[in-house]
Amino acid sequence: MWKKEDVKSQAVSENAPGIPAGSPVGARSPLREVSTGLSASSPSSACISQGLRIKGEVTGSEDLFLDGHFEGKVNLSSGSLTVGPNGDVKADIFAREVIVRGRVDGKIVGREKIQLWSTGNVAGDLQTERLVIEDGAVLRGRVEIETGKPIDKHSEARGAAAGTSKGGVVSVSSGSAAD
Amino acid sequence: MSFLNKLGIGVGAGAGGSREVPRAMGGSGRPRTNSPAPAAAVGATRAPELRESSRVSNGLKEFLWNLDGLGRGTLLDLGPAWQTTLSFFIERGFRVSSEDLLRAWKEFLVEEEGKLREASGRAAQHTLDVTPAARAARFLEANLQYPNSSFDAVLLWDLLDYLEPLVAKQLVANLTELLRPGGVVFAMFHSKKPEGFQRYRVVDSTTLQVISSPVLCPAQRVYQNREIQDLFSRYRTVKSYVGRDQLRESLFIK
Repeated sequence: MWKKEDVKSQAVSENAPGIPAGSPVGARSPLREVSTGLSASSPSSACISQGLRIKGEVTGSEDLFLDGHFEGKVNLSSGSLTVGPNGDVKADIFAREVIVRGRVDGKIVGREKIQLWSTGNVAGDLQTERLVIEDGAVLRGRVEIETGKPIDKHSEARGAAAGTSKGGVVSVSSGSAAD
Repeated sequence: MSFLNKLGIGVGAGAGGSREVPRAMGGSGRPRTNSPAPAAAVGATRAPELRESSRVSNGLKEFLWNLDGLGRGTLLDLGPAWQTTLSFFIERGFRVSSEDLLRAWKEFLVEEEGKLREASGRAAQHTLDVTPAARAARFLEANLQYPNSSFDAVLLWDLLDYLEPLVAKQLVANLTELLRPGGVVFAMFHSKKPEGFQRYRVVDSTTLQVISSPVLCPAQRVYQNREIQDLFSRYRTVKSYVGRDQLRESLFIK
């Protein structure tokens, strides 16, 4: 039987940050992306789309969306790399910011930030200033957070919320407590 | 019948049950339910709601006490990569390695099933050794590849309850090698077969969040006191705390 409470709780769960691995991409609403604070790279970024297979080295300073199969090395000195939900990357990655929604096998250095979405699966070490892990993301590797940067207060607040309610997304910045 | 089925792990859609577990968390220390049970029915495309509660953890408290003053220690977390747990230890100066061993075990079993199917179509010399010992060896060759004495601390959670006994035994032996002298293992054991499947994350220095999750692997064994002591016989100190929820938290110091 239809109940008002049901509708309310559905709406709440739409905004809940923790969506386990395997959730279809289509399930992500723009509302949810805003609520979790996870951002994808700009729509104008270069794109290696699903179905493409590339071996080699990518270098540059632009943003890149990688949703295909890539093997080699990625070096985007001041750009951001987004590995899409269909992306399968076997490479060491160096970029300003790295967002993982697919699979990465290799070391990731995200100078400013690394985000692992719930569908993200990383086998490799992570090195960054800030790390965001959504519930459901799979990580197999070592995490190194570089020191010396002030904590993101907005993330800190979200971290506190995550600790007491739905888990989800917080930011790790070394040097001070986020819980 | 495949060994996956024997272990109670289905492959594909039927997967041993990604059922939402109704948890009657009687409550260990002092469980505090944080979020009410989800009222809304969820469609096929929607993520299942995970129920959470908190428990006061004397084991965690003791674990941290043992690590106090370590400075830049190294920690191996064998549970899922939860942000709160990683934050907690990284902000205390730890270098954290994360490896969700239970997920790896399930994936390994699925792979083995595939290999077995392939091998059955080939000549006899290509057949796979599927004895539990051989499987345990293959699994641990592919996982936990760290140099000896790499870690000061290991979060083992309740992993051993869900692994085949031979794998569990070999895993503990391997962990002992990975630990430095004086290193600490934090493990949990169910005193009776768990009704559901749950995972844990650190909220603060005395509190764990218990998250009911879809079943990844069914429980394999309930370890008795003596069996636990035998498993960790190479450790010099063992401390246990049993909660009212029948969950035993144990600390093993090498």
